[in-house]
Amino acid sequence: MTNAPAIRVQGLVKRFGKTEVLTGIDLEAARGEVTCLLGPSGSGKSTLLRCIAFLEEATDGFIEIDGAPLGFALGPDGDRMRLPPNDIRGVRSKIGMVFQQFNLWPHMTALGNVMEALVTARGMSKAEAEERARARLAEVGLAERATHYPSELSGGQQQRVAIARALALEPKIMLFDEPTSSLDPELTGEVLNVMRKLAEGGMTMVVVTHEIGFAASVGHKIVFLDQGKILVEGTPGEVFGKPRHPRIDQFLDTYLDRGAAGLL
Amino acid sequence: MSWDLFLLLLQASVTTIVVSVVSIVLGFLLATVVCAGTMSSNTLARGAGRLFVSFFRGTPLLVQLLLIYHLLPQIGLDVPSEVAAVAGMALCTAAYQAEILRGGFGAVPKGLMEAADMCGLGAFATFRRIRLPIAVRLTLPSLVSEIIMILKASSLVSVVGVIELTRMTQDLAASTFLPLPLYASAGVIYLAINAVIAGVGTVLERRVARGHA
Amino acid sequence: MTFDFALVLENVPNIARAFGVTLGVWAGAVVFGSIGGFAIAVARRWGPTPVGWLLRAFVEVIRGTPFLVQIFLLYYGGPFIGLSLDNIPAGLFGLSVYAAAYYSEIFRTGFEAIPKGHLEAADCAGFTRAQTLRRIVLPEMTMLVLPAMVNMTILMLKETAVLSIISVPELTLEVSAIGTAHYAFVESFTIVALLYWGLTDLCGRAGRLAEARFSRYRFSHS
Repeated sequence: MTNAPAIRVQGLVKRFGKTEVLTGIDLEAARGEVTCLLGPSGSGKSTLLRCIAFLEEATDGFIEIDGAPLGFALGPDGDRMRLPPNDIRGVRSKIGMVFQQFNLWPHMTALGNVMEALVTARGMSKAEAEERARARLAEVGLAERATHYPSELSGGQQQRVAIARALALEPKIMLFDEPTSSLDPELTGEVLNVMRKLAEGGMTMVVVTHEIGFAASVGHKIVFLDQGKILVEGTPGEVFGKPRHPRIDQFLDTYLDRGAAGLL
Repeated sequence: MSWDLFLLLLQASVTTIVVSVVSIVLGFLLATVVCAGTMSSNTLARGAGRLFVSFFRGTPLLVQLLLIYHLLPQIGLDVPSEVAAVAGMALCTAAYQAEILRGGFGAVPKGLMEAADMCGLGAFATFRRIRLPIAVRLTLPSLVSEIIMILKASSLVSVVGVIELTRMTQDLAASTFLPLPLYASAGVIYLAINAVIAGVGTVLERRVARGHA
Repeated sequence: MTFDFALVLENVPNIARAFGVTLGVWAGAVVFGSIGGFAIAVARRWGPTPVGWLLRAFVEVIRGTPFLVQIFLLYYGGPFIGLSLDNIPAGLFGLSVYAAAYYSEIFRTGFEAIPKGHLEAADCAGFTRAQTLRRIVLPEMTMLVLPAMVNMTILMLKETAVLSIISVPELTLEVSAIGTAHYAFVESFTIVALLYWGLTDLCGRAGRLAEARFSRYRFSHS
């Protein structure tokens, strides 16, 4: 158990109706490793992340978190069987997720958003929850914004509250689904800095992103998806360095087009 | 027109308000059931909910009131006309409120529920703490409009013999030959009540506006 | 409790005639109401300010009071100011005024929803105000207001039932009369409810069909 990777994905297949979005993904992430999922839109990277979060149920294949099966396991008769809800809940509690659209609850303050699950789901006392929530908000640099409602915060601040909300539940793994894609360019930096600090602190992270610079500097591993398959996988140097896979060249050209491809 | 006549109108408007409020509240309770039906995964419940909504939104309230007024005694329920009136109005507004609620629940962004799911809130807590409060905020303006609609629609219960504002005006107009000032006064009273409802609605909306996305 | 629908069936010709009155009053009110409503909306947007205030007050009064009170005021109060109308003209007139107020609000929101850029573009292209209205505002608005118009038009059909109270010989009145004559209220009102239900359902379907047809002309916002 202790030697198990933080995340292990085996033969993951996801179909929506007849379209196969993921066609057999195998992936491992060690503890403390930052994995960046890259790829063109429709490549299945967000679906993969949502499967790891169990927001989507994979059609086939297995996911293990810290050695424990998530959602489905191989039954005694060799069939893939669904695990009981309590098991699923237990494993999922190790996972924190940050969404593209922040998804802060609009009727609660920043503090309320961070405290909610601590009180409602973890049964913590209000005072204890508030103390922890304030600490997490301070870590993301929003101590003095605690009593603001989401509508009173900038996009970057909202996303930092969302990160604090996930961190307050002390997850083993943090998943980020395009965390800066809905932000104005000048606000992405503050979110990426929080994520960078988190990575330096040893958090296991899986990040779906278009921020190539962040992926190259913070990511330990780059996974490039194309049409539901892993096309290239390796360290940033291996994936972005020359010789480069022609598909990645093409991707960098279309998705950066800011001369950044040349910087790598 | 004398002050005495106006006082009689004011007295009758108390009946208008009581009938409306009782109908709205009963209608809301019924609407939660109907809404649960229309949103249910059970085909029978969904069909029944939709049929209910379709019928009570698809026929005139006046016809519903007359039907219920005459139907209740035939099935052995000899109730005062006020009860028949409230029953008819509650059924009708339940259909409208059910659709308002359905719209509200449907408008809660899916991502907010996913976030709750990821935070381990569980189905019941997610409904109680996230989905319900947001849906109520989203439906507040429509619910206020529906309350105003019902207040105006309550004038129709005059045809089944409830002496509310419209019926009182009608009776006084017939006996005093002063239809113009009387109906104009009734109109002013309806306007005033509606203005109060709209004002309270605005205050409520402003109070929850801070917590809006 | 016994149901005797045969009583109602004997009166099919009467019911058909009454149904004709219902449809006629409804169609008239929808046509006059939407023309009047459009005129009100245009005047409120582009007319002189005091006219806008007056019209706003008119719309608020109509929307804030029960239709029944309005129709009573017109039918019983009208003669005192020299406006003696028979029940059918009174019903048609009252319902048209009522419809105009509601339709005007739909058009007003429609006007507001048209992106300013589209009007500015027309202005730059040298369109006159009338041309802009006819070539840009109207077609764009048709798609924007269609769902609300369909809703309101269905609501108007249901509102015609109220005219039975001032003895307009429409469906509800005629069927009530049959009910009274044969003491068969439940049967008659069941029939009448089904007739209205069928008609509103049909209108709803037609409206959704029209919306689907028009939806591809809709501009996209993002």
